[in-house]
Amino acid sequence: MRVFVNNSEIHLAPGMTVRHAVMGAGLLEEINAGKKVFDERGNEVGLDGELSENDRIYVEGQEETGKV
Amino acid sequence: MRAILKLSKILWGNNIMKHFEISLKFLLTTLILLTVMVLPCGAADLRILYVNDFHGFAESYKRIGSDEMQGGIAHCAFRAAELSKEKPSLLLAAGDMIQGDTWANLFAGKSSIDVMNAMGFDAMVVGNHEFDFGKAVLVRRIEEAKFPVLAANVVGFDSLRPYVIREVDGLRIAIIGVVTEETPSATHPSNVAGLQFLPVTKTVERYVAQLRDKVDLIIVLSHIGYNADMALAGAVKGIDVIVGGHSHTKAVKEIMVGNTVIVQAWEHALVLGVLDLTIESGRITSMSDRLENILPATIKKDNKVAAIVENYSGQVGESMGKVIGQALVDLNAENARSAESNLGNLIADIMRRESGAEAAIINGGGLRTSILRGPVTVGNIYSVLPFNNYIIAIRLTGQQIKDALEYGLSGIEAKEGRFPQVSGISFTYSPVREAGKRIGTITIAGAPIELLRQYTVATNDFLAAGGDGYQVFREAIRQAPDFEILGGTIKSSNIVYNNAGRWLRDVVVLEVSNEKRLSSAVEGRIRAEN
Repeated sequence: MRVFVNNSEIHLAPGMTVRHAVMGAGLLEEINAGKKVFDERGNEVGLDGELSENDRIYVEGQEETGKV
Repeated sequence: MRAILKLSKILWGNNIMKHFEISLKFLLTTLILLTVMVLPCGAADLRILYVNDFHGFAESYKRIGSDEMQGGIAHCAFRAAELSKEKPSLLLAAGDMIQGDTWANLFAGKSSIDVMNAMGFDAMVVGNHEFDFGKAVLVRRIEEAKFPVLAANVVGFDSLRPYVIREVDGLRIAIIGVVTEETPSATHPSNVAGLQFLPVTKTVERYVAQLRDKVDLIIVLSHIGYNADMALAGAVKGIDVIVGGHSHTKAVKEIMVGNTVIVQAWEHALVLGVLDLTIESGRITSMSDRLENILPATIKKDNKVAAIVENYSGQVGESMGKVIGQALVDLNAENARSAESNLGNLIADIMRRESGAEAAIINGGGLRTSILRGPVTVGNIYSVLPFNNYIIAIRLTGQQIKDALEYGLSGIEAKEGRFPQVSGISFTYSPVREAGKRIGTITIAGAPIELLRQYTVATNDFLAAGGDGYQVFREAIRQAPDFEILGGTIKSSNIVYNNAGRWLRDVVVLEVSNEKRLSSAVEGRIRAEN
């Protein structure tokens, strides 16, 4: 499964979650430092949230980015 | 509306009213007329309260980066009860309710069902993780539930109902359940053996066509993710509301796709979704949606639910102290970041056996504490493996295995957590050589490694996702062609075992319970040479 974290392509095994995608992008430390993960519409998503092919998520420092 | 008409009739018929000025009659008549204009005849209010992806997080906790306690199902229950008194209401759960936190896992999800029964849920859709304890357990949980458990697109599971029709204050409401078609790809094949997961869109289309004329409102209770919910709403006309889960989306405001309202309430009952609708002639004429934060500091506990939570929490505490085996030697994690460890061997061996792989590679840093000789408790295993990691087995070439081991050894000077612990593999290395050139010989199952041959290798999801900087597993996953689900089993060239719903520590607890006497030794699987 291919997803995008801050526009970087990440490949995940089925069942892997937002946490794995963020880890694959090397951004887990940023979450530990207080950043959050958002979907394309600026909705926060949980680290255990499940992903689908071509989903795009963003690790950012503020809430409700309103990307769309 | 009906209440206002009744009230005015009573007032008009009462002798007391005859003493009032005619202007009061005029005022009341105006009020009634205004109300009729605002809430037309036949209009009805409905409040939908919803949660999703609870995953058994019954107790409040502080999220990463927050100092505030959040969630707590007893607080959520109190607020849900308050809100449901204000309007005719439905309480819905959009899946993944019974698996996740230890509070739920130790009881195979029964604790979650007990809480949901006490809260008076009206319906729940199964999430993919509801299958993680196996079909027989899920059947028992469904039997215990005092509410219907739905999944219209699962064939072969008689306990699941495709939909339910609820009548609320004169409104007939159909609730159709659907779960992700990808369910079989991330759980043990035996958990879904014999089941078919039909395409969601076609399934919903069929049931909407069947139900549309028989009800005032159609709700799809989905566990397919927020993006998939939007695609579903775009593809199937006639759905009024989608209450979703799976992607753990904190949808602070509802979204409309065509005439379909889509909502989702984050995770772990950290928030409670509140969707207020006015429905007239089978159409939503007004709506308002919000997520209410469940903050223990400001919301009371529902006593009944709190008692259930505390009872199970007490049992969790007792379970942690339960002796499941005897360590005949100290099981050492102290040196697992720089040398072969007997505890590393024990865990890696269990992973290899469980997955049926030829070898296993894990990160020494994942073993968080040692177990001293003597009785071994569940709590000991949970302390060694405190993270929610699961087993995944991937096909790697001999060269990829060598690369993985080289990488694992590259941080040995600093005792980095990536130092490998292995099963089915033996190797020599030189700590004085430069990183990337340290490996000497490697054998797998006693035979010299063949660099071009493929081997099945178990690891944990952390390393498979690139944790600790491991790239080899990620690369193998990237190289895997799109997986297929055939007959409930994942078919992929590179992923041979994938059980995302069963934590490694629970596998180890079961193995230790069976094995009883632990005498794992350092056997020379990893040998340093100069």
